[in-house]
Amino acid sequence: MPRPVSAVRLAALALALGGAALTVDAARAQPAVALPDWSGVWAMQGPTVFDGATVRPPEGRTGQPGVREFPPYNEEWEAIYRRNIELVREGSFPDPISLCGVPHGFPRIMNVPDVYEFAVTRDAVYILAENGPGIMRIYTDGRGHPPAEELWPTYTGASIGHWEGDTLVFSTISLKGASGNDVIVDRTGLVLSDASRATTRMRKLDDSTIEARMKIEDDKALTRPWQVTKRYLKQPPGTWAWDYSCGENNRNPVSASGKTLTLGPDGKPLDRVTE
Amino acid sequence: MRSTKIMTTLLAGVVLVAARPLAAHHSAAMFDDTKVVELSGTVKALQWTNPHVWLQVVVEDQGRATEWSFEGGSPNSLSRQGWRSTTFKPGDVVTVRLRPMKDGTAAGQFIGARFDTDGHTIGRWE
Repeated sequence: MPRPVSAVRLAALALALGGAALTVDAARAQPAVALPDWSGVWAMQGPTVFDGATVRPPEGRTGQPGVREFPPYNEEWEAIYRRNIELVREGSFPDPISLCGVPHGFPRIMNVPDVYEFAVTRDAVYILAENGPGIMRIYTDGRGHPPAEELWPTYTGASIGHWEGDTLVFSTISLKGASGNDVIVDRTGLVLSDASRATTRMRKLDDSTIEARMKIEDDKALTRPWQVTKRYLKQPPGTWAWDYSCGENNRNPVSASGKTLTLGPDGKPLDRVTE
Repeated sequence: MRSTKIMTTLLAGVVLVAARPLAAHHSAAMFDDTKVVELSGTVKALQWTNPHVWLQVVVEDQGRATEWSFEGGSPNSLSRQGWRSTTFKPGDVVTVRLRPMKDGTAAGQFIGARFDTDGHTIGRWE
């Protein structure tokens, strides 16, 4: 039979629990800083070459034969990149998003065409990419990364962040990388491994520019951290971001050999396919 | 329907200067970016869909009609550049500037178009 509990003991318990809750809240609370205004619609500056600082030739674009960047790959991953560059040259380097089934993943989500919105709330920042569409969640409520046993590799990984003045600093771990052959970084053939992680510093440079500085580390693929900076330009007031469904009318599926096909209006390949 | 009007091949360097990457969800390896071709014909349909709009134009060449497929950007990005789902209507007579497929099939990457009725253009038509 349950023991009766006195009113005094109940009050003491309530105080103790309340105190504990307050302690947790205090630990999670962000400093009383005004959140920056990142409202509006934004578009990435420049082409979809991920590391514009190292691309060669300097005006090279993804998909053009021989265009490459220079991440600090180790020998093994430099060889993988070179193979991918050859596949691009042959027109048989498949872009996983052409299948309309997987998201861009991180860090590629920071490097896509069309427009972005950056939703800043007290407890999280959401990067919303129209293309894809893509969503990246960055929790800023004071939580830490989940323990390793609760994680599994995902396209955008797990991100936690905090504010340093007007700068969002976030850490991203638990990325799939190229482990499943369905994530690339860009169409020159860039890939990272499932050991990749990043620390990103994101801030508004002025009313019309947001900058994201990524420090990417990858114990399997890189010999040292890789620094990449992307910028986003504010679009005119009133600009709309729209729904985007890759599978709505995908006339560019990928063949078994990795070639991107072109379908006619009847759904049959126009390409002269011999496979 | 009208006959093929102009077939123009430009130097790669000139083309690249004029080029601006489309918001593609796939590799553009199938297009020959060393060539720009102009074709005239009659609009059959504009597929105003993601991930790409597709302009279907019937081109007549030496008495033979061929339906061409021209791939553009996403309707999202094109709408922000002034396009509408009604920009091309069935029956419009147009000249389309495109990057052709490398394998010679009846398709290409849309660059720009001129409407023959009043000469106005859309896309890149420098």
